[in-house]
Amino acid sequence: MAERAATGTSAADRPGEEARPQRVGTYVYGIVPSDVEVAEDARGVGNPPHPVTLVRHGEIGALVSDLTSKGPLGTPDDLVAHEQLLDATAAEVPVLPIRFGAVMPGPDEIVDELLAPHHDEFSSALKELEGRAQYVVRGRYEERTVLAEVLEEYPEVARLRDQIREQPEEVTRDARIQIGEIVNAAISARREADTQAAYDALAPLGVMAAVREPTHELDAVHLALLVETERQAELEEAVEELAGQWAGRVTVRLLGPLAAYDFIVTPAAG
Amino acid sequence: MTVQPASSGGVAQRPSASGLADVIDTILDKGLVLDAYVRVSLVGIELVTIDARIVVASVDTYLRFAEAVNRLDLAESGNQQGLPELMQNMTKSGAAGKSKGAVQGVLEAAGDKLQDIIGEPAPDSERRSARGRRKGEG
Repeated sequence: MAERAATGTSAADRPGEEARPQRVGTYVYGIVPSDVEVAEDARGVGNPPHPVTLVRHGEIGALVSDLTSKGPLGTPDDLVAHEQLLDATAAEVPVLPIRFGAVMPGPDEIVDELLAPHHDEFSSALKELEGRAQYVVRGRYEERTVLAEVLEEYPEVARLRDQIREQPEEVTRDARIQIGEIVNAAISARREADTQAAYDALAPLGVMAAVREPTHELDAVHLALLVETERQAELEEAVEELAGQWAGRVTVRLLGPLAAYDFIVTPAAG
Repeated sequence: MTVQPASSGGVAQRPSASGLADVIDTILDKGLVLDAYVRVSLVGIELVTIDARIVVASVDTYLRFAEAVNRLDLAESGNQQGLPELMQNMTKSGAAGKSKGAVQGVLEAAGDKLQDIIGEPAPDSERRSARGRRKGEG
């Protein structure tokens, strides 16, 4: 509440900040329990980035920072700042991540229109997230290995390839597309099988699991898991085992703890 | 306007483990949409459109795969570079896989990120949890 008491007399109430540039809005990162404190050196999005603070109401609070420039948001620095703040928070306390780019006029509006009307909803979601965080498992096929597999499985690919090699590139477009289609279908089939295998191996370790869309054509596995942070070591072990089985074929990475981006669902508008 | 990972002109050249690529993959289109909760008090700030997604089944993808198949074979039939190299790579990543893959990922994500923001990894728990310290705790 102290933050809000400054309304109308902010300059006087904040000695040393008279030169503060005009705020154009308050950027909102996420919702956390109100008993959280923010590190003083946490910096947010925008240019220049401002310190991250907490606007509290009842049992919940919003992680925010001032925006003082009107420039567009979405630079690499902005994206990284947004995720880093949320993930570092999620490693310690529950947090409901808000989609990148949410800006409200100021702390008053955040309390009156966001936190107060939805207090109970946010609060119970935070309780559900207590002690849990998201982890993402990513697998990427080693291109040469997977292509060699496909060539072995589909002799017609080799035949088509020999065929296009004898002809000028201008006339082989269709044959090349045909090769690509076969390869893509073969990789998709592998992706499906490998994703299923990873899901079966890892989902039991989590509270929830979600298959993410591939974001790269050589993606083998892209899974999001909501896991009790106490079981992180167990998860690491299971992922390593999977990586061992796939050595040379799929490069596996584990990201986390992250905020629960894939498990927070926005209610349908209306 | 579009922001994409550096050198994204060709899919093949995309850095495989760029931090930014991971960030975009992770947070793009994810999280609570504030519009569903507040209607009037959102401030319109111009957002750079972010579209780094790859349409997995596109003609470009097919052509690139065809080229990769072609390259793969040239490497094999060329001198010395074929299977032996492939096997070597497999062995190498097989050995490294255990210690690298998973654990490194976690360290990357958790360690770096915490340190980036908080500064130094501090020994005392008060500092460590500064980001999300509970008032009642410690």
